[in-house]
Amino acid sequence: MLPLVSITLFLPLAGAVLILCLPRPTARTVHGIGIGTAVLTLAGALAMWLEGVSGADFSQVDELEWIPVIGAAYRVGVDGISLPLVLLSAVMFLVAFIFASSLRERPRAYVVLILLLETTAIGTFTALDALLFYVFFEVSLVSMYFMIAGWGHEDRQRAALMFFLYTLLGSLPLLLAILGLYLGSPEPSFDMRAWIADPPLSGAAAMWALIAMLITFAVKIPAVPLHTWLPAAHVQAPTVGSVILAGIMLKFGTYGLIRFALQMTPEAFREAGMVILVFGVVSALYGAFAALAQTDLKRLVAYTSINHMGYVIVGVAVAALTLDPSVRAVALDGAVLQMFSHGLVTGALFFLVGMIQERAHSREMGAFGGLLKTVPLLGWSFILAAFASLGLPGLAHFPAEFQIFLSTLGSVPAAVVVVLGIAIIAGTFLKAIRETFLGEPRQRWHAMPDLSTRELLAVAPLLVLTVATGVAPSWVLDVIHRTTSSLVL
Amino acid sequence: MGHDLALLMPEIAVLLTAVGVLIAEMLRRPRISLSIAAAGLLVATGLTVPLLGTETNVFGGSFRIDALSIWAKLILLPATVLSLLLARNDVGGTAREGTVYSLMCLATFGALVLAGAGDVMFLVLGTLLTSLATFALVAYPDDDSATEAAMKFFVFGSVAGAVMIFGLSYWFGATGSTLLADLARTDAVPLAAILGLVAVVVGLGYKASLVPFHFWAPDAYEGAPLSIAAYLSVVPKIGALFALTQVVSDVPANSGWPAVMAGLAVLSMTYGYLAALVQDNVVRLLAYSSIAQSGYFLLGIVAVGSSELALPSIILFAAAYAAMNLGAFAVVALTGRILSDFNGLGRTRVLMGIAMVIFLLSLVGIPPLAGFVGKFLLFAAAIDVQFTWLAVVAIANSVLSLAVYLRIVVPMYRRGERASAAPHTWPSIVVMITFAATFIIGLAAQFFLAGLVR
Repeated sequence: MLPLVSITLFLPLAGAVLILCLPRPTARTVHGIGIGTAVLTLAGALAMWLEGVSGADFSQVDELEWIPVIGAAYRVGVDGISLPLVLLSAVMFLVAFIFASSLRERPRAYVVLILLLETTAIGTFTALDALLFYVFFEVSLVSMYFMIAGWGHEDRQRAALMFFLYTLLGSLPLLLAILGLYLGSPEPSFDMRAWIADPPLSGAAAMWALIAMLITFAVKIPAVPLHTWLPAAHVQAPTVGSVILAGIMLKFGTYGLIRFALQMTPEAFREAGMVILVFGVVSALYGAFAALAQTDLKRLVAYTSINHMGYVIVGVAVAALTLDPSVRAVALDGAVLQMFSHGLVTGALFFLVGMIQERAHSREMGAFGGLLKTVPLLGWSFILAAFASLGLPGLAHFPAEFQIFLSTLGSVPAAVVVVLGIAIIAGTFLKAIRETFLGEPRQRWHAMPDLSTRELLAVAPLLVLTVATGVAPSWVLDVIHRTTSSLVL
Repeated sequence: MGHDLALLMPEIAVLLTAVGVLIAEMLRRPRISLSIAAAGLLVATGLTVPLLGTETNVFGGSFRIDALSIWAKLILLPATVLSLLLARNDVGGTAREGTVYSLMCLATFGALVLAGAGDVMFLVLGTLLTSLATFALVAYPDDDSATEAAMKFFVFGSVAGAVMIFGLSYWFGATGSTLLADLARTDAVPLAAILGLVAVVVGLGYKASLVPFHFWAPDAYEGAPLSIAAYLSVVPKIGALFALTQVVSDVPANSGWPAVMAGLAVLSMTYGYLAALVQDNVVRLLAYSSIAQSGYFLLGIVAVGSSELALPSIILFAAAYAAMNLGAFAVVALTGRILSDFNGLGRTRVLMGIAMVIFLLSLVGIPPLAGFVGKFLLFAAAIDVQFTWLAVVAIANSVLSLAVYLRIVVPMYRRGERASAAPHTWPSIVVMITFAATFIIGLAAQFFLAGLVR
């Protein structure tokens, strides 16, 4: 049988090497290789999806010795939590390459960086060795730093530096936690499966490890009060950078929250569950209120991300707090589906805001008005994505948030106050839609062109998947549920 | 005795090489002297390989053939060869270039003596040998700044050496022996143990440029030819740190030496990076960075004797440090000594830019590069002996170090500016070799660790 996971994981890297080896390739060639590689990677991810997951344990595992003396190995595989995220990454990167294909400013380095990011993203979600996970987790930072610093907007150097320092400061505690788990495990090994099956730490040591991991993942998610890097990074990042940052890289945090914090220190997580829940609620509400106050469209979308990721934290915390396995499964189903939906919806929103910015060189809501008449395709796409983001039934976020709220109501009723976030986000987007797209079109935007084929190809797949996930979430939920229903904590 | 000499073949080869180089220089054949030096050191490296795995000592325990001294040869001899190539770029064509190569061989010999020291006399011998050779190397250009740098270096080194010899007399008085292995006997006289240890820390700390014995380093690096700065930051430093490892493995733990080492580590890392943060001269920046990197070695030294991760972590990090630091200096040799010389380098010379970024990220400790694996094991060693706080401080310093190294990276990719890096053959070769090593040491750490961890 083919090692599907490894092939999918290293295809983008192979594409990057290929581009680097070509002497003076044209922009067309470079973008062609980028898109071709992303298509093949998506095919690999789909093959993994068809192969499926078995349930309690990891499936499609590939293993290879790396540093046997300290028990580090190349171990990759998927379960119901990681497989949807792998598929999401493959889709997001493909549309990112399609969108980026018009870029003419140093396309070679740009495409190589995105390909590198794709390998690190899939690697982070599939790694089953803590050291390997950390390698992918960190390399993604470097690629994103150069992306923001090289192709960002006005104040990109400062934003890139802030992003790099913040997230490096954030991720080093994870290194400490990994070392703690390693030194605490009965035999020296970085095998995450062993750590999940039999958590190596207990008592105070486990709590310290958990705190270290929570710092790391809270920066990445980002959760209030460690979120301040996100708006700055988004505002300065190029559109594709924003899409990948919000669509994929934020999920490193929530994925780690489940995979590491919840599964490797379950006892400590349960003890601290209430505190984590409160952080989740505060994040969700703060993100919503902050979004309401924005006039810059990109910052607005960035803050709604903080809100949506807050729901994920709530879902995971509820899963730890509840004693009923069926409620836990519902909470985790919701949390994982929320990650998947957020990638699609926020990815689409950032693309659309980026398109508006490319046309108007402005992101201020007040500068627009009546755009729906001048650029109807762009306008309706934005409205669809915005409705999905505010949790309209029939679109991707609804089934996810519904399950999170349902399980919260069942175990910690007081936390349901977080539902308020939905109303605020609805108000935020309705205001944005009114100011930007409704009303009388302004004279200066009359010549604004509607979506080109390239832009349509980038956004349409995300919107189609958003509707598909909203109308029939079972195609993703079945995979997720197979793992969450058999999860032992 | 004959068997002892057989075990010392690599050291003897280095010594003969130094003499051979000097003879070629007397015949005024600088190219031949360079070839002899490089070939001789590589032969010595080759002679070391069969010794891997040996655990013994020679001359009645006064010189050790163990993992530290064998790996010191495998790391420092190739590092010296690379420094020679850099030196060719700096001093090629000057009046006495052969003496530079010869002195480098002798200083390396001194560093090897330090790394295998099993006796306080070897500590003194190694320190003096490296010091005398490097004083002359720093002074070689014979201009004002080099002379001033060498003078500072000399005064500082002489005082540190004298303090060390004075303090070592306490150990001799307490144990009646010059062997390090007999230091266990100082158990009964803790005061003598401490005084001797402080003296050794002064002497070796100066060689390794640990804070607070580092003052000479930035000035000496700045005044010396670039290749000599690169050499000083790697070879004598690693020799001294290995010697420190040899010493503490025999000092009784009740003297409290791990706490002393931890304190020095914190000082070196923090001060080194804070000072590097305000430098505009890349050589001074790298000098302060190398002071901080010495502090990281101490995380492993803290764990010597109590954690089996200690030796592997020190050795692996030494190899990683040698590769990435020499690489960074080689790029500086091709670019320029001032920070603004790097403006736009990443856009004009793409591959060299990538190489510099890789070296600097490896110095920060970003995976999967060599520096990451080294630091990772150092952290693990420190946590393993309950020095978690020290690992936390080291990690905080890693973030600080990112700010330091990004000061070089950021201007490299600034728009609209063009740096002119002169293409020189030898430094380019050094960049290529160290670039490959920075990746290989990171990905194939197994090779270094096999046989070190049981």
